[in-house]
Parts: sequence; structure tokens; C-alpha cells
Amino acid sequence: MRPQFGFAFALSRLLARLSGRKVCRAQWSGLEAYGVCLLVFGISCVSAGRVLPLVVRPGILRVALFAALPVILWGGFLLLYYVLSLVIHLFRRLGLYSAATNAPLQQLFFASLTTILSFFLLRSGSGWLQSLGILWLGLLALNLISIVVERLFDPA
Amino acid sequence: MAVRWWRRFAVRGVFWRQYLDFGVTNVPFYLVPMTVFFWTIFFFFVAIPARRAVLSNLRIIHPGASRLTNYLRTWLTFHHFAWTIVDAADHKIAGREFAYEVEGEEYLTQLGRAPGAILLTAHMGSYDLGAAIFAQRYGRPIRMVRVPEADEQTAAHLDASLERSGAGAVKVAYNTSSMALPLELLNAIRAGEIVSIQGDRPVTHASQRETRLFGEVVRLPDGPFMLGFVAEAPIFPLFIVRTGYHHYRIIARPPIHCSRSAGERDVAIARAMENWSQILEDMIAAHWGQWFSFVPIFLPAKR
Repeated sequence: MRPQFGFAFALSRLLARLSGRKVCRAQWSGLEAYGVCLLVFGISCVSAGRVLPLVVRPGILRVALFAALPVILWGGFLLLYYVLSLVIHLFRRLGLYSAATNAPLQQLFFASLTTILSFFLLRSGSGWLQSLGILWLGLLALNLISIVVERLFDPA
Repeated sequence: MAVRWWRRFAVRGVFWRQYLDFGVTNVPFYLVPMTVFFWTIFFFFVAIPARRAVLSNLRIIHPGASRLTNYLRTWLTFHHFAWTIVDAADHKIAGREFAYEVEGEEYLTQLGRAPGAILLTAHMGSYDLGAAIFAQRYGRPIRMVRVPEADEQTAAHLDASLERSGAGAVKVAYNTSSMALPLELLNAIRAGEIVSIQGDRPVTHASQRETRLFGEVVRLPDGPFMLGFVAEAPIFPLFIVRTGYHHYRIIARPPIHCSRSAGERDVAIARAMENWSQILEDMIAAHWGQWFSFVPIFLPAKR
């Protein structure tokens, strides 16, 4: 029988195991999905918000764009999923990729994009923006360490 | 007549079903909550008849609530619906496993062992996923009766999805005015199959009768009860509701017996329907946000 708790990220699994729970690798945690979603989307929004004043003059248009930023970014993400799906399709034809779904590569892309944006936030000079970047980079580093720990102690 | 190309993009058009499949295979799982959130807003504004229907149903379920509160509840209903169809597609395409618990395990076991039975459910939660899970868990084929989709391409897409998610154990039969269907279902039950029917919405041309839900008059299909009466088969009310992110609860209720021993046919059917409406009312009251009845159910009050 499968354990009651399932986490997608190695960090969550490791923390749960350290607290004495039996866990498995599954996407069952709303905290993980919603938390990372907020962080990735939040970092993208903040980064786009920082660029916006550089390309749009002050005025009604800038205010409107700021207000519509989450929706514009959502549209941008949809476009990115599509463009990436075409690239992955090309990879498949070349025999470079064979997973059942495109999600693993898409996940890698968006995680990398968020990491790059986090590095820019670190250089922003603003305390809270830097802390947002540190939060992402810290979680990423801890997750990578957890993957190594998991592989060493639980190869299955 | 040639199908107009733009019908593909209507709310019930096949384009959105195909797009959902695309999303399931391409959107990183940690970005799905945001995607579902925005698409819910989009369809909340675009699917006007569905929104009005849900709102009118909610007005009966929550008579004292303000208009704004019921609008928010309508949005939540759309949001739950979005998640359930995403999860069902995820199960079908990526073979995603979901965490689920069972309430009324003994009735589910009875259903699994029954030599032919009727599984009575509602447009509630993820009924597609529920049928697939049940078929896989008990190794029993299910014949699922559905209302035909307005769009032919969407219907074909849904059929293929259901049969694939049930690994071939879920067969779809359409509830039309045809007389062949009741006989086909009767034979299936007598051959030991489980027939799944949604009993919360009447279908035009299909047999139905009046009963009461939340104190209001509604017309519900009486076909499942007639079938139970003729086949002498138990009717198991079963629902699957979403309890959280990738978490579901299968709720099984005691079987309804609509047999000859309960008296005359009409009396037995009326009694069974009364029993079913009470179960349905309790379920809807507890899970109003997951009653995906996108058509008005309650009849206008007779004045």
C-alpha cells in the first residue's frame, strides 16, 4: 500500500522523513504546488514589473500595464509553453527526448528561468526583492542537496 | 452539412478539450494552479449560460445568501470543475495517481461483488475519474451512460478519453431517445456488468418524473429505478468529491432497493426516487461547489 503522504520535491520528502513520516514520490501536496507556483509566478511578476518603467513612459498606459501584468504574464507563459512544445517536438524527432510528456523539460526550463530572474533580483539593491531571490535560490540549493541525500540513503 | 470551423472554439467545442490535453502534457505541475486560476476567470465570463445555470441552482441551495456571495460560489464551482477535468486528463494522459479515501467502504465492496448492479451518481466531483478508479480497483467493467455532447467531435474525444482512462474497462453508452438503450443496459446488468448512470439531471425524450430537492420541484430521470425494478438489481449511490490538491473522497451510500417486493411498480419507483433525492440533496448541500449542473435544474415555481 502506498504511503499517505506524497511529495514531488526531494526537500519536502526529506523533511517529512526527518519528522518520522512515511512518504512517497507523488504530486499530492497542495502546499508544494501552490507555494512554488506563487514563488515562480511572483518572481516573474516582480521582474517584469521592474523592467516595465524602463520601456513604458509614466502615465495611464504604465498604470494599466501594471494592473494587467499578471494576466499579460499568464498569456506570455501560455505562449512559452507552446514555443517550448515545438522545440521539444523537434528534440523528439531528432531522438534527443523520449519521455511520455513534455512536462519534465518544461519544468526544467521554468525553474531555470526563475533561477536567472532570482540572480537579477539579488542585484536589484532592494531588500525585499533580494530576499525573494535568496528564498528561491536557497530552496533550490536545499532541494538539490536533498536529491543527493535521497540518492545516497534511499537509492530506490 | 459541413461543421462550421468556429464551432470548435465554442465553450463546449473540441478545441478546449484538445487544449486541456496539451496543457496536461506541457504545463509544469507547479504552474498548474496559476493556469487553472486564470482559465477559470476566462470561462466564468465566457460561459454565460453555464454561469447563469449554476447561479440559479445556488440560489435554491442557499436561499438566504446575497447575490455577490452566490457569484463567488459560482466562481468556486467553475474552479472545482476546472481542477476535476485537469485531474481526469492528467490521469488519462500521464497516468497520474491521486490520493483518495473511501467513505462507506462496505457499500463499495458490496458493489464490487454484486453480480450486476446500477451505480447511481451525479454530475458531481470527478465522476469520470471515479469510474476509472473503481473499474481498476475491482477489475469490473463499467458501462457509463452519458448525455450526448452537443458537439460531435467533443463527444468522440470524451469517449476515447474515458475508455483510455479506464484502461478499456469503461464503456460509454449514450442516453438518447432510442429504445435500444434500456434493453442493452438490462442485458448488461443481467450479464453481471455494472451500469453507471447520472441521476441528477433529466434528459429530453428520456423518461423522468417529478420529485423534490431542497423543497423545490425537480424532474429527475426515473430510468435507473425502472431498470433496477425490472432487473431486480440494487442501486448504489456513489460520488467522488475533490477534497484538496490531487485528493479525492469516494463516497458510497447504502444501496437503494427498488424491487417488486416493495409493492406496485409506480409506488416502488416513487419511494426509491424519494430516497435518492434525499441522498442527492445531502450530498449537494455538503458539496455545493462540486455540483457541476450547468443547466438550470429547478422548475420555475407554479403560480
